[in-house]
Amino acid sequence: MKRIIIVTVLALIFTGTIAAQGQYEKGMEKAFAMWEEGKMDEASQLFERISKAEKDNWLPSYYAATVEILGSFGLKDEAKLTAKLNKAQSFLDEAKSISENNPEIIITQAFLNLGYIAFDGQKYGMTLSGKNNQLYAKALEIAPNNPRVILGKAEWEMGSARFFGQPLTPYCKDIKRAIELGKAEKVTEAFYPRFGVERAEQVLKQCEGK
Amino acid sequence: MKRILFILFTICQFSLIAQTTISGKVTDNKGIGILGANVYLYGAYDGTSSDENGNFSFSTSEKGVKTLVVSFISFENFTRTADVSKLKNLQIKLREDVNTLDAVTINAGTFEAGDNAKVTALKPLDVVTTASALGDFVGALQTLPGTATVAEDGRLFVRGGEAEETQIFIDGIRVFTPYTPTTNNMPTRGRYSPFLFKGITFSTGGYSAEYGQALSSVLLLNTIDEPVEEKTDLSFMTVGLGVGNTQIWGKSSLSVNMSYINLQPYLELFPDRNKWNKPYQSFSGEMVYRYKFQNESMLKLYGAFSYSDFDILQDDINFDDGLHFGLKNRNLYFNTSYKSRLGNNWTISGGASFTNDNSDIAIIDDAVKNDENSVHVKLKLKKRFSNRFKLNFGAEYFTTDFNENFIGNTAGNFNYGFDNNIFGAFAETDIFFSKKLASKIGVRVENSDLLNQFTVSPRASLAYKSGKNAQFSLAYGRFYQNPKSEYLKFSDNFEAENTSHVIANYQYVKNNQIFRVEGYYKDYKDLVKYDTDFVDPNTNFSNNGNGFAKGVDVFWRDGNNIKNLEYWVSYSFLDTKRDYRNYPVKARPNFASQHNLSVVGKYWMEDWKSQIGVSYSFASGRNYTNPNKTGFLNQETKNYNSVSLNWAYLLSQQKILYFSVNNVLGTQNVFGYNYKDTPNMNGSFERQAIVPSADRFFFVGLFWTISDNKKDNQLKNL
Repeated sequence: MKRIIIVTVLALIFTGTIAAQGQYEKGMEKAFAMWEEGKMDEASQLFERISKAEKDNWLPSYYAATVEILGSFGLKDEAKLTAKLNKAQSFLDEAKSISENNPEIIITQAFLNLGYIAFDGQKYGMTLSGKNNQLYAKALEIAPNNPRVILGKAEWEMGSARFFGQPLTPYCKDIKRAIELGKAEKVTEAFYPRFGVERAEQVLKQCEGK
Repeated sequence: MKRILFILFTICQFSLIAQTTISGKVTDNKGIGILGANVYLYGAYDGTSSDENGNFSFSTSEKGVKTLVVSFISFENFTRTADVSKLKNLQIKLREDVNTLDAVTINAGTFEAGDNAKVTALKPLDVVTTASALGDFVGALQTLPGTATVAEDGRLFVRGGEAEETQIFIDGIRVFTPYTPTTNNMPTRGRYSPFLFKGITFSTGGYSAEYGQALSSVLLLNTIDEPVEEKTDLSFMTVGLGVGNTQIWGKSSLSVNMSYINLQPYLELFPDRNKWNKPYQSFSGEMVYRYKFQNESMLKLYGAFSYSDFDILQDDINFDDGLHFGLKNRNLYFNTSYKSRLGNNWTISGGASFTNDNSDIAIIDDAVKNDENSVHVKLKLKKRFSNRFKLNFGAEYFTTDFNENFIGNTAGNFNYGFDNNIFGAFAETDIFFSKKLASKIGVRVENSDLLNQFTVSPRASLAYKSGKNAQFSLAYGRFYQNPKSEYLKFSDNFEAENTSHVIANYQYVKNNQIFRVEGYYKDYKDLVKYDTDFVDPNTNFSNNGNGFAKGVDVFWRDGNNIKNLEYWVSYSFLDTKRDYRNYPVKARPNFASQHNLSVVGKYWMEDWKSQIGVSYSFASGRNYTNPNKTGFLNQETKNYNSVSLNWAYLLSQQKILYFSVNNVLGTQNVFGYNYKDTPNMNGSFERQAIVPSADRFFFVGLFWTISDNKKDNQLKNL
């Protein structure tokens, strides 16, 4: 009988943790589903809620930031843009405080800066483009074989090469390498950022001028 | 046993079933429902978004005391901690976040440059790519309204004020000798290289109580906190060479730059109107060391050294052999600043600067040697009670020790000087009544040892946002400044000169377009008067002068309508009269023109990898006294016109070739007239026009950056 109790209690504890984990998984899955449906605000809000419950997990704030940054591109109103990117920055700062020197977060910071530069290069380019060079260099140093880092860096460098009217081809081999690494990558952690092979192939096409 | 198990299960089940509903309504301060606010229990998964009426409702299995969070973009977060059962039918009013870009800003009198500014009149690159500016930040500011074109001088003349009425601060600490030394009719430049600064605030009036000893204007320069990468910059110019290097070690970084300028080769190619015994040469260097502490505190050490000399013979109607002027100047400047958060929303900042300026001047047959040592020490505390209420207060001490030795060929030797010590203290509050209405109220007190005078200067400004893109501002302030060194060295029987400003401003900002118009009135009192042609040890001084300046400044900037083109237009109307110096009557001073216009355009040509810039400046005539007629300052020169062009060509990402021509049309500008001291045989005084030493100025430079990532360039240094 005692054994039964122990087993039951253990089972209860276990289901308890399972339930908690299930809640995280359910929440994240729901957020991703909203994202796919284009409900960006809802997705970001759900990531925000999850991040407040999962204090040791950098992923929810990382995604909350990513969704806000994506939503900032194409905005015409600078007040809205800065409000959105400030919010993204606060999520990203939270993620940074949980996971230091994380290459995924570093390249997302560069992505956030790109939001400002894309809005007004004259105003923000001078300070932020130098920062981005530094961020990509740092990310690559930490994770030389991370396909997202390699692709992000190549895209960023292609952007400035395009601006200066220089050939893009030197970056093609990096993109190819990123695609290979991305295909081979085995992601073990749930909801860890994945490599978008299709998008990378599009970038490769641009690079090869096709 | 079974019972225990049953109880265990039921508790478990019960806890799963027992749900509490949390509900309420989220509105803005007008009671209008907010759609899409994020409402959730902190630390739980439970939450929802508010609907189009601001209503929300969700259920939770959480128990006991929890915190409900409501967050929405551009509003302050709302939190309420209570037992979950009490979180029902809540009426939540979110407060607008006043720190957003679309909130009202107190801006009467102020222009900001840099990417931290809410409204940028000048972008970081503009400071260095404006055609007429030749890489001088002062030159770039002269394209803003409120400044006057005084092309033979080069310093900032703001709203009818003399150049000395503008003070310059680096990281909040005063710069005592901001301009390079020069002589009559040769424009000066700012001493410091523009690329060390990340933000520039230029206030043409009505500024904060934090700044004193400036009657007209303050220019605030903030140095870069953290350089982004290690690099070496090389510049090869028609007028000299420059080299710069930045090193970064973890939390600290060091930037050093040096330049050597020599005008000899240029003058051989393009001789000007002067006879140079020794063409202008200068050697200068700057260094910035920055250290960032663990807790984000920041220490900056900035040092600048320069040496310049020249010897010149200028054509002068009163000297058959020309007017001889020679100068050797050495200048040393140190500035240390520290900033730290103390917790509980207190911030402390402070710093000190030291200046040593030493000049050895030869003028005609006489010699003048002077030495100035100045120190400024400042401590400031800031408390942020909330986003809507902030308090700033602090104290500072200025000391200037000036000594001059005049060695006259015939007049004999004189030694004179002064110690000008000033204590200042200030307190100021920033209050946001709402996102639309804000004010800044402050007071400054100063005590001058030299003049034995205590002054109180109130300052206030108010801003109201009247629409999505428009706002009105008002500012009032009283400003005191001790008389300039030129007078203090001969007497200390003075009071501080003073002025009060009243400013009204309207601004409209939309999609990369700025329109602003500002009217002002300045009332000058206690200006220095004297009774001799030139000030000397025998001059009698008084504070009986007075004057006024009033006008309208208009600014329009557009980077939106035409692709790849940015342009701005500044117009200033000025009406001013003064009775000061040795003026017999009240008159418009000779540095002031009634109308000033400046147009700057920049066009990026992608196919040519080039940026082309044009700038045009216009100033209406300036007064001069014609002794052949009756009256004082009785005639006006013709208008001033100048068109400048520049072309920056990117050879590669790290090499830039830069050309510029100032006054490309070669317009013969006249700044005034110099009359002969004695009349000729017909009884009239002959005259000589005061003109620039050369009509055009050409500049060619190659700027090369060497860094690891091979992308950075010196576009920003140009």
